[in-house]
Amino acid sequence: MKKSLIAIALALLWSTAWSAPREYQVHVDGLACPFCAYGIEKSFSKQAGVKEVETDIQAGLVRVVMEEDASLSEEQARKAVKAAGFSLRSFNETVEGN
Amino acid sequence: MPHHYQKPYSLASALVLGFLLGAGSLPAWSAPMTFNTALPVAEGEFITRIQGVRRQSGDDPSSADRDLTVNALVTVLGYGATPKLALFGVLPYLDKELRLTNEGQRVRRSKEGFGDLRLFGRYTVFQQDQPGRTFRLAPFAGIEAPTGEDDASDALGRLPPPFQLGSGSWDLFGGLVLTHQTLDDQIDSQLSVRFNNEANGFEAGDEARWDLSWQHRVWPRDLKGGVPGFLYGVLESNLVYQGKNEVNGIKDVNSGGTTLFLAPGLQYVTKRWIAETAIQLPVIQDLNGTALENDYIFRAGIRFNF
Repeated sequence: MKKSLIAIALALLWSTAWSAPREYQVHVDGLACPFCAYGIEKSFSKQAGVKEVETDIQAGLVRVVMEEDASLSEEQARKAVKAAGFSLRSFNETVEGN
Repeated sequence: MPHHYQKPYSLASALVLGFLLGAGSLPAWSAPMTFNTALPVAEGEFITRIQGVRRQSGDDPSSADRDLTVNALVTVLGYGATPKLALFGVLPYLDKELRLTNEGQRVRRSKEGFGDLRLFGRYTVFQQDQPGRTFRLAPFAGIEAPTGEDDASDALGRLPPPFQLGSGSWDLFGGLVLTHQTLDDQIDSQLSVRFNNEANGFEAGDEARWDLSWQHRVWPRDLKGGVPGFLYGVLESNLVYQGKNEVNGIKDVNSGGTTLFLAPGLQYVTKRWIAETAIQLPVIQDLNGTALENDYIFRAGIRFNF
C-alpha cells in the first residue's frame, strides 16, 4: 500500500512537471528600438501554441511561453526572428518558474 | 490638346513643385521624419503613418508679393512582403493657397483634394545584426501615378500645372538608404533621384537629394528591462537640388535651384505607436531667378503598428 502511494505521488509529480508550460529564451541580434520589438513579438505570436511573448530590449532577449503540451523548435524560432527582419543569436529552453 | 502654362504664375512653380516633391519623399516607414529608413517591416505585417505637413513661403523677391501656404495630410501604408522586401503606398491630401498681386490686384487661388499616389518597393541588400545594434543598406525604387486632378480651374482660369493637385505624368524615383541603429542612437542617410515627365505642356525639373538624420535617445537615460518608450532628440538635414522646369519645351529660368534644410525634432517611440514632430528650416537657398524661397516646413505625425 505504501509503495503504491509513493508511486502515485511520483507519477503525479512527474505529470505536473511534464505538463508545465515550456518557456524559451531567444536572443535576437539587431533589435534596438521599441517599434521593432512589436514586430518580433507579433511574429512569435503567430507560432502555434505560443501563449505569451515578452521582450527585454536592452538584453536583446525575447521570452516565449507556450501553452501546455506545446513546444517551440529552434528552427521555428529562427524563422520567426527572420520573418521580423532580425537575426537569431541563441535559443534556450527553460521551465516556467525556474 | 495640351494646356499652356500661364507665365504670371511660373514664379511660384518651383516652390509648389518643390513642396510636392518634398511631401512625396516623406518617410513611408522610418525613424527619420523627412525621408526613409532601412529598418525592417515584419513579413506579412502592415504599418501606417499619418503626417501633417505645413509649408509656408512668403518672402517674395518679385513684385508679385506671393504668399504660398500648402497644408498636406500624407498617409503611408507599408507592407512586409518578405523579411527583406517592403512595399509602400503614399497618398497625400493637399490644401494649397496662393496669394499674389496680379495687375495691381491682390488675388487668391486655392485648391484642395487628393494628390498623386506614390508606390515603391525597398529591398534590404545588406544587413549586419549584432546585440543591440544593426546596420542595413536598402535600395528603393518606385513610381508616382497621376491620381491627383491636373486640369482644375478657378474663376481666374486654369490653374498653372505646379499648382494642380496632380502632375498628370507618370514619374520615376529611386535611391539608396542606409541605417545604423543602436540602443542609444540611430543614423540614417539617403541618396535619391527623381525623374519627372511631361504632361499638359509642363515638365518639372528632375531632383536629386541627400538626406541625413541623427536620433539620440534622451529618455530614459538608463534601460532597465522590458520595452520602455524611447524619447529621441532628432536632427535631420536635407540637401535638395532641383533642375529647371520646362514649359512647352522651354526652360523656366525662375525655377529650380538648391536648398539645404536643417530639421530639429522630437520623437516618442513605443511598441505600437510613434508620435513625432520636426520643423525644417532652410539654412541655404540658392534658387534660380525669382523662384520663391521657403520660410519653413512643419511636420507632425503618428505611426502605428497593426
